[in-house]
Parts: sequence; structure tokens; C-alpha cells
Amino acid sequence: MTSKVFVALRVKATPERAFEAFVGEIGMWWKPNPLFQTTPRAPGLLAFEPGEGGRLTETLANGKVFEIGRITAWEPPHRLEFSWRQANFPPELKTQVEVRFEAVGDETRVSIEHRGFDQVPLQSAARHGFPDQALLMRLAEYWQAQLAALRDTAT
Amino acid sequence: MARMSSALFYQDPRAAIDWLQKAFGFELTMLLEDADGGVAHSQLSFGDSMVMIGTEWTEDHKSPKSIGGKNTQTVSIQIDDDIDAHYARARAAGAEIHAEPATQFYGDRTYRCRDPEGHIWNVSQTVEVVSREEAEAASGLKITGWV
Repeated sequence: MTSKVFVALRVKATPERAFEAFVGEIGMWWKPNPLFQTTPRAPGLLAFEPGEGGRLTETLANGKVFEIGRITAWEPPHRLEFSWRQANFPPELKTQVEVRFEAVGDETRVSIEHRGFDQVPLQSAARHGFPDQALLMRLAEYWQAQLAALRDTAT
Repeated sequence: MARMSSALFYQDPRAAIDWLQKAFGFELTMLLEDADGGVAHSQLSFGDSMVMIGTEWTEDHKSPKSIGGKNTQTVSIQIDDDIDAHYARARAAGAEIHAEPATQFYGDRTYRCRDPEGHIWNVSQTVEVVSREEAEAASGLKITGWV
């Protein structure tokens, strides 16, 4: 078993539009947060390569490209799943992020489930000394902020 | 932004999360699960408000089911329209009805029910605009703070 962090909110847009904004415009809406640093450098520009196996990359100011993860499920406009690795994770550790887009009336409920973050070792810098529950709560707030930013871009 | 919300304790918080969505139309907006699949924290939203659903995490946090059905507070849900449909939905989901929908002297139509672990919920919809004078006359109460 692994830990799960789930967050969801409503976006005033169709699932098609929300999916397109999530994947195609992540460079516009993504909010870097020093608690969940993807690389030790200044935050760069995130981008997805569409389709299963495509990369989620971060292009830094010096031109270097860091691979955060790869798309493991590509089911537009309903579901997207990708692996998630920060540069400060131990080499073998990968976590999974699943994003769902569910029509509710004329809105879309966008939910994110991030699995496996509790496997970040206790001594890892990626944990900031947090015990599991505090770490998962901060992670949930991090994704809530991302969803709120996505909502503002998608509508 | 300052605000208030309530945390409710359940023997089975996962079942409660499912039931509250089905019965009252709440929407799960946050769920933290530990590595054993236990609910560490959750938030369900309704309009601009939310409640937190959790476990009996200390000896002082108990579900009514663990203490003979006793409640020390209730949560009130205010809805915009069709309280009778809300009532029917909650009843169909298995809510134990304590008070059938009835229009109160202050202009709200309300009903009261218990969820599967015995938490009491109060549901209201404003259906009539009642002046302070009318409410005082109908109830015999002296009312302060009525806008």
C-alpha cells in the first residue's frame, strides 16, 4: 500500500477544455513552490509531450531540460496519469499523479491523486523534516494551489 | 480570510465520506490516506463551506455510534432550493428522519436527520421573508439582531 493525497475542485469549462489547459498550458498556470522543488535551480517552464510515454519536462533558464516524469495513461478528456520525480528524490523513487476530468452539469470536476509521496525517506531534503501527515497535508495544499491556477487559466 | 468549519468523527470515515456525498450532495475536495489506506484527513465542500471528516483519533473524539447516539453539536446545512427533493434524497440514502420537513416561524423550511453513525444534521431553506415583528408575534420571543 502507499499513501494517497486527493484534491478536487470545479472548473467552469468542459472536460475537453480543462484537459487541454492542463496538458497544453501547464507552462502558463503552474505555480512553483519551494517546498516541492523539482530541481535545485530557479523554477523553469513546465511542458507535457502529449500522448502515452510523453515526458513532463521543466526547461531551466540555462537551457537544461529536467524530466519530472512520463505520461503513463493518456485518455483525453477524462484521465491522465504521469510519474513524478523531483531531483531531490532518491534515484529509484517514483511517485504517481492521476488527474481526472469529470463533467458535472456545465462544469468539470478536476481531481488529482498523488500516490507514494510517503516513500520519500525521512532524511530526504524533499521532506523538510515533516512527518507523514504534515507532508501529505502540505502536498495536498500544493496541488490545491495548482488546481486553482488551472481553473483561472481554463476559464 | 477568517472563517469557521466543523470536524466530525466517525468509526468508518470512508463510509461517511461516500454517504455524505450521496445523501447531501457534498463533494470530496481533499483526502489524505496513510500507507495503510487509513483516512488521515478529509474535507467535503458544500457551496462556500466545508466539513472535515475523520477518525475517532483520540479518546476525546468520538462518533455518536460509540457513545450511545449522543451528540454535543449539530451541523446546519442551508440550501437555496427544493428542500423536499433534498429530504427525499437523504431519506433514500438511508438517513434516519428525526423531524419531517416543516416551515418554521422564522420563514425557513427545515428537516432534521441522523446519518448512519448517528450524527444529527439540520437542513434549511428560506421559503418566506418574515419580519422581526412577525417572528416575535409568532414565537413570543424577544428577538435581537434580526436584519
